[in-house]
Amino acid sequence: MFLLLPFDSLVVNLLGISITVLFTLLLVFIIVPAIFGVSFGIRKVYMKTLLKIFQWATLRIERGAKEKNHPLYKPYVNGIIAKEPTSLEEEIKEIRRSGSGKALDTPEFELSDIFYFCRKGIETIMDDEVTKRFSAEELESWNLLSRTNYNFQYISLRLTVLWGLGVLIRYCFLLPLRIALAFTGISLLVTGTTVVGYLPNGRCKEFLSKHVHLMCYRICVRALTAIITYHDRENRPRNGGICVANHTSPIDVIILASDGYYAMVGQIHGGLMGVIQRAMVKACPHVWFERSEVKDRHLVAKRLTEHVQDKSKLPILIFPEGTCINNTSVMMFKKGSFEIGATVYPVAIKYDPQFGDAFWNSSKYGMVTYLLRMMTSWAIVCSVWYLPPMTRQPKEDAVQFANRVKSAIARQGGLVDLLWDGGLKREKVKDTFKEEQQKLYSKMIVGNHEDRSRS
Amino acid sequence: MGSAHSVPAEMRELADRTGFTSEQIEHLHRRFKQLSQDQLTIRKENFDSIPDLEFNPIRGKIVHAFFDKRNLRQESDGLADEINFEDFLTIMSYFRPIEMNMDEEQLDRFRKEKLKFLFHMYDSDHDGKITLQEYRNVVEELLSGNPHLEKESARSIADGAMMEAASICVGQMGPDQVYEGITFEDFLKMWQGIDIETKMHVRFLNMETIAHCY
Repeated sequence: MFLLLPFDSLVVNLLGISITVLFTLLLVFIIVPAIFGVSFGIRKVYMKTLLKIFQWATLRIERGAKEKNHPLYKPYVNGIIAKEPTSLEEEIKEIRRSGSGKALDTPEFELSDIFYFCRKGIETIMDDEVTKRFSAEELESWNLLSRTNYNFQYISLRLTVLWGLGVLIRYCFLLPLRIALAFTGISLLVTGTTVVGYLPNGRCKEFLSKHVHLMCYRICVRALTAIITYHDRENRPRNGGICVANHTSPIDVIILASDGYYAMVGQIHGGLMGVIQRAMVKACPHVWFERSEVKDRHLVAKRLTEHVQDKSKLPILIFPEGTCINNTSVMMFKKGSFEIGATVYPVAIKYDPQFGDAFWNSSKYGMVTYLLRMMTSWAIVCSVWYLPPMTRQPKEDAVQFANRVKSAIARQGGLVDLLWDGGLKREKVKDTFKEEQQKLYSKMIVGNHEDRSRS
Repeated sequence: MGSAHSVPAEMRELADRTGFTSEQIEHLHRRFKQLSQDQLTIRKENFDSIPDLEFNPIRGKIVHAFFDKRNLRQESDGLADEINFEDFLTIMSYFRPIEMNMDEEQLDRFRKEKLKFLFHMYDSDHDGKITLQEYRNVVEELLSGNPHLEKESARSIADGAMMEAASICVGQMGPDQVYEGITFEDFLKMWQGIDIETKMHVRFLNMETIAHCY
């Protein structure tokens, strides 16, 4: 037993040294810049290096596949066009609604119905199931994450070693670093905002609150190694406005809030989230709702209106889609936030899936699993575009305004402007559906026509 | 990603004329070759090889639109027997999404082109008017999926819709006035102020916006 002592102390010493080194690194390179809002550019260099490695890995796989003369599976290009299985009824309703604005409960045939079938037809001519999956051409770059690789059998020894190294770096070096940072960020946020909450209201409190918030969000951004490019920052939201953005993951909040000072809107949760929420509201007025209040739309609208009308209060941050979408399209915006009558500042967020897929499929992964996946990816790379502010025109109703904002966001972010409700994400659409479409359509028209002629 | 290739001059010319990027043109060219079975032209029969198209009620009209000379930007009229890749691209360009950098005039022209394409789909006898009979024709086709539907119902639906269209275009008509048909100007009038551009386009998955990230 005594023989182990020197070995033990060696291990302990090594551990102590590595932890100290880690924390010094953390402090100097990450936390201090976050406090002051500067950047050393380390992340950009990291990103460029990664890209070079990915390209090399891709070429190896391609070579491997060519040697065996097999086609490769292309993970990012599901065919050449963005097709979504929309529900016929929903889409035709939307086309009509944005068209003549006729009553929806008595649909009858309209010239615009042909849009849907026409487009579907052209889509199938452009691309169908046959051409979709396999292509012998260039593979999209493989990012050394096994979760995105579908061509396992073409990996050579060298590539496996590289991949193994990648796993080691990600799980043993990056992950603890990131968890430590996240921990620091969140605890700083909670303590900072609580402390600031004790100050009397005034300019000092506001100033401190703003900087505490910004600092903690910046630390969280570094905790995810998020490399964000902001465009058109002169259009950033101002007090008394509503900031509207497309929603891909809970990380969106962190990304936007690290560049601006917003009032959050949401439901009070229990647990850690609840603690954070309660602390934040002490420092500055966020709008949190109890679970029971969320159902009451008038109450929600009233509180939001009150907040917006007070010019000293911060711009509200809202995600009108209501659920996380996979960042290739923008779904229908719920009209609630557009009825309030404030200036809307649209923001488009687009993620680059190469370094890590940020989409949260809440039916597949829980929050913790999702965060772990995020923290073990290479990085989260995204672009944020601040679009010029929009207001509701006198002849527009809330729905048309919402659609206009949505189109602007979709166009800027290069996303598909879809018309259907994000709630349909959880259902699976089968092939027999297509055949039913025609029958459904005719039933829809004829059924209602008969009702009308009877009444 | 991958190998860079030099863009041949014709490709660039095609890209300029139809507004697609060279990457999209390449994809479409592959698709064209697959449809035409490596021939230089496509005929109507080649569209039979697309299984998903079977389910579309207006399949006939869509395929017809590809061979309609009015859509091919040729001054002549009538039907072509076969089309080459350039014509294929021309038809596809009607479904291009709008771009960020388009000005008012371009947007307007774009919109008119899309609406003209639709108009030609309805106007099957090429006389520049959508008559009641042609309208009925389209409604019947759209409702053809339902085997229990009687012709009469389809007809009355079409009649109702046509009357509605007439009221928008001509206003109140006297009892002995006959509405001849919807001309293209009337057609445009019906769609005034309605944003069809985002409904009538097929979007390519492209990685261009990714490039903006760095």
